[in-house]
Amino acid sequence: MRDLVVALHGEPAREYLDQLRYALTFLSEDVLSCEVTEDPPQVALEFNPGTDIEAMRLRVEQLIRRYEHAKFGGKSIVYFDRRRELPVIDAWQGLLERRWVTPVGEGHVILRGVAAQLLLLVDRKVTNLFVKAFDAEPEIFPSTIKSETLHRAHHFTSFPEHMDFVSHLKQDLEVLSKFSSRCRTEGWSNALHDGNMSDHDFAISPSCCYHAYEGMEGWDLKEPGRCVTATVNCHRYEGANHRSLSRLRSFNMREVIWVGKPAWVIANRSRADELIEEWATDWELSCALESANDMFFTDDFAVKASFQRNQEAKRELRMEIPSERTSISVFSSNFHASTFSRAFGITVEGRPAVSGCLGWGGERWVFALLSQFGFDPANWPRALRTDYDRFIAGGQS
Amino acid sequence: METAEIAKALRQYIVERYAIPEADKDFTDDVHLFDYGYVDSFGAVDLVAFVETTFGIKVTQGDMIAYPMNTINEIAEFTSLRQKGEI
Repeated sequence: MRDLVVALHGEPAREYLDQLRYALTFLSEDVLSCEVTEDPPQVALEFNPGTDIEAMRLRVEQLIRRYEHAKFGGKSIVYFDRRRELPVIDAWQGLLERRWVTPVGEGHVILRGVAAQLLLLVDRKVTNLFVKAFDAEPEIFPSTIKSETLHRAHHFTSFPEHMDFVSHLKQDLEVLSKFSSRCRTEGWSNALHDGNMSDHDFAISPSCCYHAYEGMEGWDLKEPGRCVTATVNCHRYEGANHRSLSRLRSFNMREVIWVGKPAWVIANRSRADELIEEWATDWELSCALESANDMFFTDDFAVKASFQRNQEAKRELRMEIPSERTSISVFSSNFHASTFSRAFGITVEGRPAVSGCLGWGGERWVFALLSQFGFDPANWPRALRTDYDRFIAGGQS
Repeated sequence: METAEIAKALRQYIVERYAIPEADKDFTDDVHLFDYGYVDSFGAVDLVAFVETTFGIKVTQGDMIAYPMNTINEIAEFTSLRQKGEI
């Protein structure tokens, strides 16, 4: 039964429907089901009993206004396109059957077997191709980050829905004793936390590179700048959008980050485009490198997304996932101009620095590779199989 | 309003708003404001608001895609043409 149906104007573009579908997940915790259809163009929702339907209608209309005026497709660039027909392989089911993945909570998985090896192989490949090419200096980052840092990096004003904040029980002997005692007698439940938690000074890193900028706060870099690399287990809460290994709440991200002179950062980013194309060709990936925009979750979405696309500030390598009839971004190349260097006072020889970064989502690579090539390494493209065999044998991929 | 006059006002706004030192030789009316880090995505929103209120025009999302607005000269030229009703 549908409690609320809101019509969409005109003939909505697919990208608009996808954005809307994603965003509606965060409409309210009272939503029981939500359907966005192209024909007829409408949103249909079902709510918990007692929900204020008119209030929900206003929220739906707010999201429609946010996304319907974005000029998707206005500037869409394909840098290279290697997409081709592929057999349909249900990688998620295959991973479960082989016990190469065990779901351990919403958007959380344990990887093992070939799946774990592939993730490590992809990271090795990044190291051999990109970290070496850009002479990136390794840094080790904590998995959590100060909320204040994220605020200064403007994260909360773009992606508030993603945040997994960290908290701990109050430093209070009575609170600690009571919590422990009730866990023993009643078993743990969320209710035991009510009123007993500290402030949310930290969050789990939603991205890898923020630590790099805060780590260089106030530095005046030598020309042309610094290139660093790190991996972090990141968290992004995605509501009902979590699925398979395509959209996890907890995932591993490798980044290569530049902070320095504009021309140097821009030239390195162009070189990275060439390297990722070489890799895609070598492993025979069905994919395309395209201009993209982030899913900004605020009412200024259209301005930010248009700006990103027009400045070609974001490029994504999207790999085809035939079983999900979609593609997923496994690599992104980002240019931030001076956003982060201004936020953290980083200069290069006295002038404002700019920054850019490359990011690889480990679990997404695993899922895309298995979705395209299956579970038997003997059937994989020759270069991928060779790299995998060498990696397993302990050599260089 | 002539393009040169608009460019002058834009230059003054950007220099003050983003604290650009006088000695910065890269900062010209033809420098790419975003690639060279003078204005970021958040600054772009402010810049559009400045152009709209100061010069009495409307800048749509479509404009930002259709017309190059990456340099002071490009923004000034767009603003002048829009004021004259030519675009």
